[in-house]
Amino acid sequence: MTGPLKGIRGVVLTQAWAGSYCTELFAMAGADIVQLEVRKRPDSWRGMYTAPMSKSMTEISTARHVWNVNPNFNAVNLGKRSFTLDLSRDKGVEIFKSLVKHADFVAENFSPRVMGNLGFSYEELCEIKPDIILASLSAYGHDGPWCNVPGIGGTIEPTSGMSALLGYGDGVPLNSGVMYPDAVAGLYGFSGLLTALHYRNRTGKGQFVDLSMQEANLANIGEAALEYTQTKQIPNALGNRHKIYAPHGIFPCADSVEGGKKWIAIATETNAQWLALCDISGKSWANNSKFIDNVLRKENEEELNQAISFWTVGQDRDVLSTFLNSKGVIAAPVLNAKEVLNDPVLRSRGVIIELDHPEVGKASQVGAPFHFSKDKISVVRPSPLQGEHSFEIFSELLGMDRDEYEKLVTENISGEGPPE
Amino acid sequence: MNQSIKALDDLIVLDLSTSIAAAWCTRLFADFGANVVMIESPDGNPLRRAEPNNSDGSNQFTDHLLSNKKSLQLDLESINGRNLFIDLIAKCDVLVESAVPSQLEKYDLGFDTLHDSFPDLVVLSLTPYGRSNEYSLAPANSLAIAARSGWASINGFEEKGPLSTSSNQSAYCSGVLAYGAALAAVSRTKEESGSGQYVDISEFEVMVSNFAPPALSSEYNGNIAKQKSIHETNLLAGPVSVQDGHFALTLSRAHFFRDAMMVLGLEDLAENLDLHEMWYRMAHKDLWMGRVQDAMSEWTREKLFDELALRRVVAGPVLKMNELVENVHLRERGFWNFLKDDHLQILRPGAPFKLSETPWALEHAAPNIGQHNEEIAHMILQSSATVQSRDGEI
Repeated sequence: MTGPLKGIRGVVLTQAWAGSYCTELFAMAGADIVQLEVRKRPDSWRGMYTAPMSKSMTEISTARHVWNVNPNFNAVNLGKRSFTLDLSRDKGVEIFKSLVKHADFVAENFSPRVMGNLGFSYEELCEIKPDIILASLSAYGHDGPWCNVPGIGGTIEPTSGMSALLGYGDGVPLNSGVMYPDAVAGLYGFSGLLTALHYRNRTGKGQFVDLSMQEANLANIGEAALEYTQTKQIPNALGNRHKIYAPHGIFPCADSVEGGKKWIAIATETNAQWLALCDISGKSWANNSKFIDNVLRKENEEELNQAISFWTVGQDRDVLSTFLNSKGVIAAPVLNAKEVLNDPVLRSRGVIIELDHPEVGKASQVGAPFHFSKDKISVVRPSPLQGEHSFEIFSELLGMDRDEYEKLVTENISGEGPPE
Repeated sequence: MNQSIKALDDLIVLDLSTSIAAAWCTRLFADFGANVVMIESPDGNPLRRAEPNNSDGSNQFTDHLLSNKKSLQLDLESINGRNLFIDLIAKCDVLVESAVPSQLEKYDLGFDTLHDSFPDLVVLSLTPYGRSNEYSLAPANSLAIAARSGWASINGFEEKGPLSTSSNQSAYCSGVLAYGAALAAVSRTKEESGSGQYVDISEFEVMVSNFAPPALSSEYNGNIAKQKSIHETNLLAGPVSVQDGHFALTLSRAHFFRDAMMVLGLEDLAENLDLHEMWYRMAHKDLWMGRVQDAMSEWTREKLFDELALRRVVAGPVLKMNELVENVHLRERGFWNFLKDDHLQILRPGAPFKLSETPWALEHAAPNIGQHNEEIAHMILQSSATVQSRDGEI
């Protein structure tokens, strides 16, 4: 692995999405991320051991274990190494603590009391390595009356204010198509850890990073928060519309794509963009007294949107989007997941990559979202199999020999798959 | 914890941001202690000209995104202005730009040129589509990015059409990732002299990165992730109606289901062991879904949340911004803050994460254009004799 964080090591207990995404960003930027997995309670994003293999995976001869072929897990753990330990056993705890001595940071996304129960509180980790950084990504943070309330993306979206801002403008709050708040928390976790690492590099002092998913997501809609505190007007979901500008929407196009209709997003934020849109459409909207300026367009937005839809429904989505862009108008095709994976710019920039996973085989997936001119991201490894690197990690960092490792496996302290 | 210690107070960031995304990135630098100097033309940062929302003509973008920063008014078109800008670059660690096309290239100060003279400098570019590709010059906003990144294809209901993410999500997400990426690049310069580099972040690519799980599910399964049907408006899809609003309830585990049924007074469902199996619950939604939602509709959000939280069932009320401002948990966590010099005492959103030793701090309101001309001249250039302040402009 290459990247600007080469030489940094995280010994992490991250799981599901938020924590795993946070530490995956480190791995893709070159850090050595060794991720502990507990076989008795596998990462929920690996799924249950007893879950049936999906139909598509049953057709792949190398897909042997359902927990290694879950797309959720494999989407957010690129570049990591996986090891397993039973933390209910003294030997498991001892090995984990030995690994912490080799870490720059520890990261986890349990409920606040879990690390303390395991004997891995920040204070206890500092006794092992005084300059350690611990990042905890929990639902509501480590203090306050809700600190022990459990939460996941699907409940943080409502409690952070995100759901109230997502919807079609009919007063019904929605959650996103998948648990978006996890991704947001992962991004802030990545940056929080890097802030702490910068300080440690300067001073030799570690610290505790307390990330509340609720707060990270609320910060991500900070301008809406400030709008309320300044104006006392409660911001609501606007659908695809904008508070100020019109047009600002998603409109139907000709033809369909696998999975549904084709759509295009179009917005104008300046008069020049509006006039360019009018010109391209060949319609007389620019002379319509109802649309003569943005204030009137906003007042008559429903009628304007109908007129634009009537026009776009006969247009080729991609041709129109490219042409509108070339004339300075904000526009983009609504791409589905398969189209995103085939986007030529994402592929040429190495954001969509082909990876050869040991069980799944070759697949296209999303890689690193950053580009460094000197420390280029040249290789990204597929997400690890459960426990794939246990011996490699124990041997490399602790000097363990094969016999000792096999004893751990025999005693169910390490290994792969469901414990016996 | 010493309130005066800042994680990044050894860094100087030169801020040419013109977008919400880049301004959020540099705001984070400022909040964690970096000396962030905005270079503003006489017209000021374009965010200052966003549509006003307040009676005094100010707007949330200025107040929110430019606070904690310093403002230096500088005419980069003039020879003196350009020379002073280069003097400033010599002092800074990170230079942030977001204009499309590149403002630095316009002034013949592209990365390669700068790197020759300032080998430790990190130049961060944060734009809608990244540099040097066929989308680079395309105009975009968060709606366009939500469309192209796949998010609009899975949000909302298929009967109502694609739905964008809320507000400016691509801007804030890319802003925080860019902040982290820049810190990663800075860490290299601290360990190896001459390793300054160019960091290219795209709002589009960050939102695609956030979209990785549904993208890979589509790739593995061959079934494209898509919107739900409006007929699937139920508690598996998101919040449902309760007495005073909406509420989300997760029933993914057996004990969540059992305990939630007990709270809702549906003991027969709680005792039905078949329903403790996830696959059975999903296959027999008609047995419980309607009854559960009917029972929930009799509860208030607060009462239901309190009862479920006691049993550690994952659930949450839909909170609006007025409720979040009053939320006891956020208050006790110290999330909401006042600016020290704000006589109006406007509450402001706080730290996205807490650091135990080097806390986030919101200290200064957004500056006026050129408010810090003299201070920057003295502090950074250390050559005030060469700097003439005239009409607020250097």
